[in-house]
Amino acid sequence: MTAKPCIVIVGGGPAGRAALAALPGAVQIARPEATAWHAEPRRLWVEGDGRVWAEPFDGLLVCADEPLLLAALGCAIRDGRVVADPEGRTSVPGVSVAGRVAGAANSREAERQATIAARALAAGPAYTNAPMIPPAKTAPAKTAPAKTAPAKTAPAKTAPAKTAPAKTAPALRLDPVDLAALLERPTGPERHRAALAQCAILGAVVPARPVGLAALAGLVATMPEAAPPQTDTGALA
Amino acid sequence: MTDPDILIVGGGLHGLSAALHLARAGRRVRVLEARQVGAQASGYSAGGVRTLGRHPAEVPLALEAIERWHDIANLVGDDCGFRPVGQVRVAETEAELAQLAERVERLRAAGWMHEALADAETVRQLLPAVAPHVVGGIVARRDGFASPLRTTRAFGCAAMAAGATVIEGARVATLERRAGLWCLRTHGGETHAAPLLLNAAGAWGGRIARAAGEPIPLGFNAFQMLLTDALPPLLTPVVGAAGRPLSFKQSDSGHVMIGGGHKGQADLDTGEIHLDVPRLAYSARTALDLFPALREARIAHAWAGIEGVTPDELPVIGRSAVADGLVHAFGFSGHGFALAPIVGAIVAGLLLDGPETHALTAFAPDRFTLGGPARETRSALLQPAG
Repeated sequence: MTAKPCIVIVGGGPAGRAALAALPGAVQIARPEATAWHAEPRRLWVEGDGRVWAEPFDGLLVCADEPLLLAALGCAIRDGRVVADPEGRTSVPGVSVAGRVAGAANSREAERQATIAARALAAGPAYTNAPMIPPAKTAPAKTAPAKTAPAKTAPAKTAPAKTAPAKTAPALRLDPVDLAALLERPTGPERHRAALAQCAILGAVVPARPVGLAALAGLVATMPEAAPPQTDTGALA
Repeated sequence: MTDPDILIVGGGLHGLSAALHLARAGRRVRVLEARQVGAQASGYSAGGVRTLGRHPAEVPLALEAIERWHDIANLVGDDCGFRPVGQVRVAETEAELAQLAERVERLRAAGWMHEALADAETVRQLLPAVAPHVVGGIVARRDGFASPLRTTRAFGCAAMAAGATVIEGARVATLERRAGLWCLRTHGGETHAAPLLLNAAGAWGGRIARAAGEPIPLGFNAFQMLLTDALPPLLTPVVGAAGRPLSFKQSDSGHVMIGGGHKGQADLDTGEIHLDVPRLAYSARTALDLFPALREARIAHAWAGIEGVTPDELPVIGRSAVADGLVHAFGFSGHGFALAPIVGAIVAGLLLDGPETHALTAFAPDRFTLGGPARETRSALLQPAG
């Protein structure tokens, strides 16, 4: 007998509720009681009730507008949007999306997406060959060798909120303090756009949402055993 | 492009500092950076400008570097966000305080007066928010911190203004010495050649050295950092702890940076980094133990940069023992940021065939093959990253 896969739903809005209805027994993480602030493969980091814990998952359905959580899991992002197939499957097996983060324009659409995505997630991690959304019209920027003047530090800049991805100059990598200032802003399209632009430069930007220092500190009671340096015997290649 | 006199592998702070000094000496310099300027440790460190708690071998360099930091705008045309707010290492037990007192005595016996023992009251004057259990500490009042990415970019801009070329996205794939030239080919297929080569490749410095026929042991760490949200003024100096890894400071914007040495996992081939949440949590716990006023703070950002680490946690600085025209400056083991202004000048001098102006024996590239590290190569105090 195989264990029932553990499915976690993030979000308590229309999409989250519809997903839970389609996936009875799933664990729902919904604000304000619980906030998913970081994600790793098969593990969601959650803050709630003054503490932090890891919520394991086999399948994850993100129904809240949390693109940074998905970026942390390595989900493909294009034009500032998470790439998903019509059944909500992202580029990472076992991770699906529905609702605003998947482009739903209203509650009804969000519920419809969530029901479809929940059923597909429950059916297993199989991929479809259906077109992904958004359409693959833009290749990710490649770093070309270039004689470059190192950019001067500048404060975070974001474009005004628009429904279509704004055509802007390439984002400048932010200093960590400037990035922290960006991440402590209220979540919303401007923050997402600016933070995802940093993801494109830096890789995952952590955390997806600020987490309480005291709650995080409560996760461990004693100093972890010192970890030796990682070894490298690699060669140029 | 005109053929360079000197190739530098690594567009981090040390490579760019060397480029600046070499370009100002009239040499044609080309910097090859695999990703972007300051992409790894240089742009991600805690930015500590510290003479405090240094290994004895590093003290002369750190003291000379701190003088340059106090005049950094004249060196690079930007103050780099340098704030000479001092650094404090606090003791949480009497045993730790005794260890610190002993260290200060030893330094004084060697003629170094930059560290001063501070009793509990003095520490509390410097750090009004510190926890009541702190029993004292040591202080270096001319130390401080700077903005790492801004500093790295400032050195890069200054180097380019002096005539150096910086090429980003130029990851070195092969390297060989041929007919008196170092010939490098990048992943993009470009070739670069020059009679002199500086290996300032950070965590990748061991690979460059091996390719040049000089195996130098080098591991790597992904030192993790945390930043809180913007808080009211909480502390002025940079704070470390005698008994556990900690680097703790507040920026002008009110964000409190917590780092010091707890590590994530990194992949040198891909550059990917995975944060270790329990270790992040312990950094948060240490900060909270020492500064209970952080109880309501929230963590807004966490990150890590990849840093090369040698077996004795001292950098590799010096001429190659086996290859002509090659100088190494890597493996700063998490505490090289503050040294960059002086290390750039030193390695520029080595590349220009100048005499060794500083005692570099403790940093020699061949020290690991000549009977192992010298006796005094263990750090006297914990070396907080950054």
